[in-house]
Amino acid sequence: MMAGNYKKVNRDLTMSFWDRLYIPEIIRGLWITSAHFFPNLFSTMFAYVTGDPTKRKIMTIYYPEELPNIPDAYRGRPVLVQGKDGREKCVACGLCEVACPPKCISIVGELREDGTRHPKSYILDGSRCIFCGLCEEACPVEAIVMSHEYQNLSEYHRGLMIYDKEELLVPEEKLERRLKFIRGRAFGKCNY
Amino acid sequence: MSVENDARMDLHAKEMILNMGPSHPATHGTVRFLLKLDGEKIVHMETEIGYLHRGFEKHCENGTWTQAFPYTDRLNYNSAMQNNVAYALAVEKLMGVSDKLPERAQYIRVMVCELARLADHYTNLGAAALELGALTAFIYLVESRELVWDLIESVCGARLTSNYIRIGGLSADLPEGFKEHVKEVFDKTKVLCDEFDRLLTHNRIFVDRMRDVAPISKEDAIAFGFTGPCLRAAGVEYDVRKANPYLVYDKLDFDVPVGTTGDNFDIYLVRLEEINQSIRIVEQVLEKMPEGPINIDDPAVRQPSKEDVSSKMESMIFHFKNQIEGIKVPKGEAYFATEGSNGEVGFYVVSDGSGKPFKCRVRPPCIPLTQAMGFRVQGAFLADIIPTFDMINLIGGECDR
Amino acid sequence: MDGLAIFQTPGMFGNIIEMMLKIIFIFTMNMGFFAPVLTYVERKQSAFMQDRIGANRADVFGFTFFGLLHIVTDAVKLIVKEDFIPRGADKVLHTVAPLIAVIPALIAFSVIPFGGKYNLWGHEANLVIADLDIGILFIFAVASIGTYGAIIAGWASNNNWSLLGGIRVGAQMLSYEVAMGLTIVGIFMVYGSLKMTDIGAAQEDFFHWGIFLQPLGFFLFFTCALAENKRVPFDVPEAESELVAGYFTEYSGLKFAMFWMAEFLEIVTISAVLTALFFGGWHIPFVSHAMLSGFLSGIVGPDFAELITMFVHVGVFWLKVAILIFLQMVIRWTLPRFRYDQVMMLGWKIILPLSLANIAVTGLILLLVG
Repeated sequence: MMAGNYKKVNRDLTMSFWDRLYIPEIIRGLWITSAHFFPNLFSTMFAYVTGDPTKRKIMTIYYPEELPNIPDAYRGRPVLVQGKDGREKCVACGLCEVACPPKCISIVGELREDGTRHPKSYILDGSRCIFCGLCEEACPVEAIVMSHEYQNLSEYHRGLMIYDKEELLVPEEKLERRLKFIRGRAFGKCNY
Repeated sequence: MSVENDARMDLHAKEMILNMGPSHPATHGTVRFLLKLDGEKIVHMETEIGYLHRGFEKHCENGTWTQAFPYTDRLNYNSAMQNNVAYALAVEKLMGVSDKLPERAQYIRVMVCELARLADHYTNLGAAALELGALTAFIYLVESRELVWDLIESVCGARLTSNYIRIGGLSADLPEGFKEHVKEVFDKTKVLCDEFDRLLTHNRIFVDRMRDVAPISKEDAIAFGFTGPCLRAAGVEYDVRKANPYLVYDKLDFDVPVGTTGDNFDIYLVRLEEINQSIRIVEQVLEKMPEGPINIDDPAVRQPSKEDVSSKMESMIFHFKNQIEGIKVPKGEAYFATEGSNGEVGFYVVSDGSGKPFKCRVRPPCIPLTQAMGFRVQGAFLADIIPTFDMINLIGGECDR
Repeated sequence: MDGLAIFQTPGMFGNIIEMMLKIIFIFTMNMGFFAPVLTYVERKQSAFMQDRIGANRADVFGFTFFGLLHIVTDAVKLIVKEDFIPRGADKVLHTVAPLIAVIPALIAFSVIPFGGKYNLWGHEANLVIADLDIGILFIFAVASIGTYGAIIAGWASNNNWSLLGGIRVGAQMLSYEVAMGLTIVGIFMVYGSLKMTDIGAAQEDFFHWGIFLQPLGFFLFFTCALAENKRVPFDVPEAESELVAGYFTEYSGLKFAMFWMAEFLEIVTISAVLTALFFGGWHIPFVSHAMLSGFLSGIVGPDFAELITMFVHVGVFWLKVAILIFLQMVIRWTLPRFRYDQVMMLGWKIILPLSLANIAVTGLILLLVG
């Protein structure tokens, strides 16, 4: 066995005389929880009266009136990026289709009149997507990114969860934060 | 015939068979216990697992080496990053590139492993408190876990299914201001964990529930195949991070707590102390971490940047080949063991030379622990199953894969 | 002033009016106010103790009233749930068990004085529904009947888990009733009477409060009362994580609500008993009845002064009850629960000898002090 830095935990000294009487430890426990209760209560009342939510000491927020702070790296719903000319950036190379672990993307590609490729149909099955981000990693033209949307993703019918190209298109301006992330911190750091 | 036997024969006493089925508030992770009770004492207990089997190995065989990462997340879903790291290390060992990993990537891998360990220990201790009735203590630790998950979310994008590690390094770097965020989080979690400690560790009600309940000797623990906190609580000094150091664990200074009798209270104390040690490791890592690349400098292995893919020819070729066919791993087999929060998490990978795994087996640390349940609670009360089962920290995803 | 002349009619009529008012008041306070509000307080207090918000979503046209409407929604939900009897269960017993559990919890309040004696326009009002000579023994007797409800529920459900819960309930409540009776003997010796009104009246002086004269008796009685009520740390019979829900696993709808109500009503009853015996009942510390009444009669005249004193005393009583309820809630959400055999050991091997020792020491001190 490796020597050093294996240290024994102290189990017998944890029961002193005062601990064996139930009451002192119980009173200390009650004091700890009461010390959470009263500041929380008064700060919440104070925050309600003054209308300033940051004064609250409790940890939970009043969703959906208040939304949480989403970090840059957050993987939300996958969306197709719509370039400035209104057309999708996707060139129907099929890498995202191959890279997706549950195989939820189906692409049929075709050539446009001016010679560029684009997907005739792009179907992403939202009920199969595991939000892993491998499609975003695979795409060579930054056409599919994981947006920061996490709300209103559920539907009452399974058929409505199968998104086609029109439902997936999002203008590039709205996805600046995510594009900056994948160019800067994520895969861009592999530059040698 | 003595008076006692006469009295017994008059009493119509039959053993009661009770089914602590897969859906029971205490059997988190869907395990079924078939109990034979004599009053409240357990005469015999059978354990049945497999209610969460999802075919992890078969799934892995259908995708490439990189596509297995989301599946490894869902094994031990409390500490998802540790499974990612263990799998990546196993594949890198098979490829022979373990020593080419950049320093920064190694430090970051260690740090996320320890953050995942923190999350897992918080969950486990909190659930133990919850099952024993101390509901507020549970919420304090869950609050700590939320803060740690916020940290993990800012690194990789999801709280639980992290999908962060890649073969050859990481998928993204740390965000700006991460060090300050970590300090803020640790300030709060130290307070909350300290309150949890003060609420429960010296509380006689709690100690009486946990101490001297289901002890296990060193020899029995090794015979069953225990690893991790349960083995260390029995008194055996074995931690994979110290015995076979991997990544940069040999450069970091941390202690490993060891218990004496292997009962529930020792496991609880060991886990509580491991929380402190993990915090210590993360703080050291943030001090020592150098700047630098986060992937191996081998285009056949790593993911190129988006700029390179759209401009350089070789990067695009390698990118397409890696995505469609998968990273080529030479033929052979390898097993790599890491120290997960429950015990030794090991991956045994077999490759046939192509980009898809031929076999990818995970050694779940909680199967030997579950195996020993029937042995440990023999003769104990029904109410003793609860803390025993809690401190094992059986994660259904890992046990049943 | 003519309306108040009812108090001046010949004794019996005035007594009947007084009795009805008292019954209506207690019933409304307990069933109508405390029990529903306690469901709300439990959720909100536990939430604030745990750094979270609690239930706040039930609303009427967008006004949530801080979640107070959850009381209504909880009640409606429990009433409209399907009421089933499991196959193989005893139909009569299954239905009757919640009633046996909840009725004693309501009746037990009838001997607790929530105010003193007031002279209202010549009529002597005694704020207790039934001023029995045996006083607190009535509460113990009635609470014992409540045990039957739980045991019968555990047996009648045709379910092994409920049976375990029922067995645990029976053993636990029997043991703690024995101990509970003995812990109170100290109070009887000190105050010299079993009548609750006498004990309440004797605590007019702040330093004659029960908590100062019988501190050990307070802790022991409090523990026993918590065990009788099956609250954490003694909620072994309904241990949520061990026995799913113990003896009321197979109950839903209004029957479940009745068990639940019984528990909350007993919280109020225990708090009221503790207040009456140990915390001075309706008295304000350092301010006696005569002092307050005299002070107020300088402002509003002697009759109204008595009336206002009565309201003040009743308010003080319920304030103390509320504080004790808060204490019980804090205990519930903080402490882990005992194991079944540890509960038995606590009741028989620790509390019983200590209460006997308490009696002995109290007797000795009374003999010495005289």
